[in-house]
Amino acid sequence: MSSPTPIVQVRNVVKTFGRTRALDGLDLTVSAGEVHGFLGPNGAGKSTTIRALLGMLRIDSGSMSLFGCDPWTDVVAIHRRLAYVPGDVSLWPNLSGGETIDLLLRMRGADPRSSQRSEMLERFELDPSKKGRAYSKGNRQKVALVAAFAADAELLIFDEPTSGLDPLMEEVFNQCVAERTSTGATVLLSSHILSEVDRLADRVTLIRNGRAIESGTLAELRHLRRTHLRAEIPQPFGLDLPGVHDLSIDGSVVSCTVEPAMLAGTLAELSRAGVCTLTCTPPTLEELFLDAYRGTVTAAEVGQ
Amino acid sequence: MNIAVTGVAPLIRLAVRRDRLFIGGWAVLLLGVCAASATATLSLYPTSSQQIAAAEAINASPALVALYGPILDTRSFGELAMTKMTVLYAVFVALLVVVVVRRHTRTEEESGRAELLAGTAMNRAAPLAAAVAEGIGVSVLSGVGAAAVDAAAGLSLAGSVLFGASWAGIGLVATGLTAAACQLSASTRTCAAVAAGALGALFVLRAVGDTSVSWLSWLSPFGWSTQLSAWSNPRWWVLLLYPVTAAGLLSAAHVLHARRDLGNGLFVARLGRAAASSRLGGVITLTGRLHATSILLWTAIVGVLGLALGAIAPTIGKLLSSPSGRSLLARIGGAGAMQDTMLAAELSIFAVVTSCFAVTVVSRSGMEEHDGRTEQVLGTATSRHRAYLATVMTAVAGATWLLLVTGVTMAVGFGAVAGNLSDGVGRVLPAVLVQLPAVWLVAALSVSAYALRSRWATAGWALLAAFFALGQLGEMLRFPTWLTGLSPFTHVPRMPVERFALAPLATMTLIAVALFAVGAVFYRRRDIG
Repeated sequence: MSSPTPIVQVRNVVKTFGRTRALDGLDLTVSAGEVHGFLGPNGAGKSTTIRALLGMLRIDSGSMSLFGCDPWTDVVAIHRRLAYVPGDVSLWPNLSGGETIDLLLRMRGADPRSSQRSEMLERFELDPSKKGRAYSKGNRQKVALVAAFAADAELLIFDEPTSGLDPLMEEVFNQCVAERTSTGATVLLSSHILSEVDRLADRVTLIRNGRAIESGTLAELRHLRRTHLRAEIPQPFGLDLPGVHDLSIDGSVVSCTVEPAMLAGTLAELSRAGVCTLTCTPPTLEELFLDAYRGTVTAAEVGQ
Repeated sequence: MNIAVTGVAPLIRLAVRRDRLFIGGWAVLLLGVCAASATATLSLYPTSSQQIAAAEAINASPALVALYGPILDTRSFGELAMTKMTVLYAVFVALLVVVVVRRHTRTEEESGRAELLAGTAMNRAAPLAAAVAEGIGVSVLSGVGAAAVDAAAGLSLAGSVLFGASWAGIGLVATGLTAAACQLSASTRTCAAVAAGALGALFVLRAVGDTSVSWLSWLSPFGWSTQLSAWSNPRWWVLLLYPVTAAGLLSAAHVLHARRDLGNGLFVARLGRAAASSRLGGVITLTGRLHATSILLWTAIVGVLGLALGAIAPTIGKLLSSPSGRSLLARIGGAGAMQDTMLAAELSIFAVVTSCFAVTVVSRSGMEEHDGRTEQVLGTATSRHRAYLATVMTAVAGATWLLLVTGVTMAVGFGAVAGNLSDGVGRVLPAVLVQLPAVWLVAALSVSAYALRSRWATAGWALLAAFFALGQLGEMLRFPTWLTGLSPFTHVPRMPVERFALAPLATMTLIAVALFAVGAVFYRRRDIG
């Protein structure tokens, strides 16, 4: 399944902070050239994993490798090849955004003058001359994003990158990720928002309580692509179709999750029944995790 | 003032909860020095004629008057015993208030925590009101403590109460001053510099007033503390000046606060450079840049102090030529010995002061890590060793530089007044340089605490306070040698009084180097953040 030399390989990693087990036998594999979504609720261990991969935390047991090297011992060699944007970007209060970008680029070993710094500043609509303390959360994030995208990196690591960005800037971010991957870069993207990962990721790892629950391509994790339907119909009835899950009827309201292939059929069925209101939403993380925990239960069982 | 109380009480509780160790430690130190001064003065000058001689000696030296203020009634034992406390140590009361008030106003705003609280059901002015209330509380407690300690040490009760009131008054003025200063700039450091600078200016104003243009002293709260004449024939009405001034400053702070946005200052923040200069390219230059302004400020302060204190030393022997002064000198060992004792005493304080700079560098590194910026630095191709080296280099090089500035300015000040520059350099400079190993050792202890655990980045302050207390109180209270010996500063040869000694200096340097190395190993092995 994965290519012979994965960029990121995490095997059975345990990391404890006092009595809390932040990572509890975590596995994660990111292959070259893919955008890998790292999906989990708050406190699942996403940031801890990333910080361990960056050599900030010393793991208790298990093994980790980046580019085939040990992230704890070969820090400098590894970090020359990657760019990292933390979830909560903190800037030096009296350094301007532009100075911070140049500094981060130089510390990665890149030359700001030959980078795409000015192009990225324009695309992210960032004023580089403001002092660090004057930027909003979104703009602080942009400073780190510009520094990450301005020079080529083989691996880009983003920890909840769009949490402070408006939808327009999110779009710019998505484009930049697409451009980078088209030239061969690998991306590890952590998030607690399914739609964000859904748009960008080739493969996804679901993590909860420090453990990977499942991992695979979005096609493999088909339940991730289901649509959650909530319909009001005069005479409620059981939508007893294959590919329809989590059915529940409450008065005149029917709700269920539907696999992509069955969506058209289900909608036709609802329309025949004279549907008066209909809302479609992607499944929530909670629903995904419930599914993942249930593992390989059949659709029929879920339906009952 | 319109201070609505909603939210003030819980904020005060929060502030006191966060500050109790810091305030407690500082208060114990200040009151300890107060008590020691009161008891030591009596054992130093047991008879009233000796006391009068000592008071006259102080009044005769413009340098000492500039530092401590004059003694208005040379027959008053209380005034003599509290000479250093009345003005010079009142500065430390004021600094405590500056730290406390700023910590709960501007620092909270810069960190964004104030915004979190502002979203709760509280009055807009509640954080400022709570910080002011804490400042007032700290001032009053310092005053009450000082009065109690003095009275317990056997000084007159009425004098003790008035003296305590002068400390409380200085604290009140500092509360108002800091509250107003914290409205001016969005930068925590600028606000602190404004408040400390204003206090410094008021101190200098008084020093000039006490030594030449006497009415100037009345413009400074530090001057009022002397003019109050707490120990004999007190001018009670002077006590009114402090609260009136404080109220004025607090009203100004309130008005400024009401006119500005949360997180902003009165001055619009200037824009920075759009691109970094070519020098800013790594963690070492970054750390240097982060401390550049502070090094400049420290250099200016240490330079001025060095010149002033250097100039004091030679005058001391000459001005003690009154009959009673001569007997005092004879006991110590002549005029030359007196100025050398003075130099040695000043230098030991300078060593502590420059160590403070090293500790600020280490504390700052702890803050960088706490705020997540170290994580960004280490996320680039920067090794742990390099990041560690940046802290060590800035702390050591900065403190060394400051001590050198002290040495040169003191030598110049001494030489200029003594009329012999080469004598000044020869006498002062070696005496300054021998302090270096002790300063390095404090830096090394502080850095290795941080290397063990990021939360211990501020441990250096506690160490430094303990060392300072051992040095200041150790002799007065006759602590055993092993206890005073814990402080590196006690192992520095007290040149020019004592001879140069290589062994303690070499030992301290070696220990410092070893600690730096051990710290490097620990810092490499621990978790970041």
